[in-house]
Amino acid sequence: MKLAIPLLCAALALGSMPAIAGPLTIDLNPSAANPVSPQMGDQLMFHSTIRNTGNQPIEGLIAWISLLEVDQGHEQPVDLEDWSAQKAVRVRSLAPGASVETDWPMRLIQSGDYRVVVSAASREGAELTPSHFADLTVRSKPVVESRRVLPVALGIPALIGATFLFRRR
Amino acid sequence: MNAASLIARKEAGELVVSRRGRAWLLTLTAVLSGFCLLLVGDTELSLLDNAQVIYDMVGIVTGLGALLAVIVGIDAIAGERERSSLVPLLLAPISRGGIVAGKLGGQAIAWLLMLLLSLFYLWAVGSTGQNLFESVVALAVLGTPVVLGFGFLAIGLGARMGSARVGLSVALIALILSASPLLLDPSLRQSAIGRAFDAVNPISGALNAYDAVIIDSQGLLAQTGHGLVDLVWLALTLWFATASVRAISR
Repeated sequence: MKLAIPLLCAALALGSMPAIAGPLTIDLNPSAANPVSPQMGDQLMFHSTIRNTGNQPIEGLIAWISLLEVDQGHEQPVDLEDWSAQKAVRVRSLAPGASVETDWPMRLIQSGDYRVVVSAASREGAELTPSHFADLTVRSKPVVESRRVLPVALGIPALIGATFLFRRR
Repeated sequence: MNAASLIARKEAGELVVSRRGRAWLLTLTAVLSGFCLLLVGDTELSLLDNAQVIYDMVGIVTGLGALLAVIVGIDAIAGERERSSLVPLLLAPISRGGIVAGKLGGQAIAWLLMLLLSLFYLWAVGSTGQNLFESVVALAVLGTPVVLGFGFLAIGLGARMGSARVGLSVALIALILSASPLLLDPSLRQSAIGRAFDAVNPISGALNAYDAVIIDSQGLLAQTGHGLVDLVWLALTLWFATASVRAISR
């Protein structure tokens, strides 16, 4: 019992600490230029700094951005095919104390609540290092406006159809 | 005016001015209008990103252009044969290459008209979004070799096959196979077979370039790989059409 209490305290203390995942830290921040309340079609920028806090170089580092949809009932990872042109960066070797900074542009395709995270792994490292989440809510925007579409969609076939009548006379 | 230009003018006149020509123009615009009305009539579709909508419409225009080129291309030689007007055409003082050029000239003018009509639709669905101008340029630069290539293929098949129906069937099967990326998301084509198919398929080349230019905002000049696929397709089909028309009387 005497031993159990310190062990329990130690376990609780460890549980409250940030995950330690090797000698890498990743800092992820939205750009200050991002709109406060983004909507579909907006371009956002996220900035990450990956630092080697260890005393050995990290070889074959790869970092990538992920997007999670967290709308209730629709929780899922998002395929970034159309969201982000910059999906991953590779660093051949990251020296001790060195850092690599990356900008991650993102175009908002779909409305909803999302969490952005940048993760890194190396060729030989045993662990994955994630950044903190950057949360965002994307407002919906009807992109196709009927006042522009209807005149064209109805008018052009009507004009071509009218040529049949015109020619017949 | 040389004989090839005369043939091109006659073909273009039949395709654009005649009752039959205006019927396909009406069909083309009805398809594009239907797509537009789906976009405004469906809540989910109306929330699609502008770039995605433009990309879809550019793909549809390319597919319709290729379909028109196939139908008209088959009619160019096989139709003349079935109307018993092929022999007089072959006896006319014009080279076989000139006949192919003239027949394709008509298709090119019809494709140009399709491009012009599609501008209204692209503006209607995409003028508030990004890369509208780039999408038009990409459609003209990358769609044109695809469409004209299918026209050449159809001219060649029409010349080789004894029957217009057989030629049309073969050409339509080739078009449907080639146009399958219009329905299959790029993520579904990531297998080795899918990548190999994309590497040689002219419509895949055009669609991948459209995707990069319209959705990913990449430069058109960076799409030389995709453009090369389309140019090789155009060159091969041109050779096939010319060789097939030359071989008619042999």
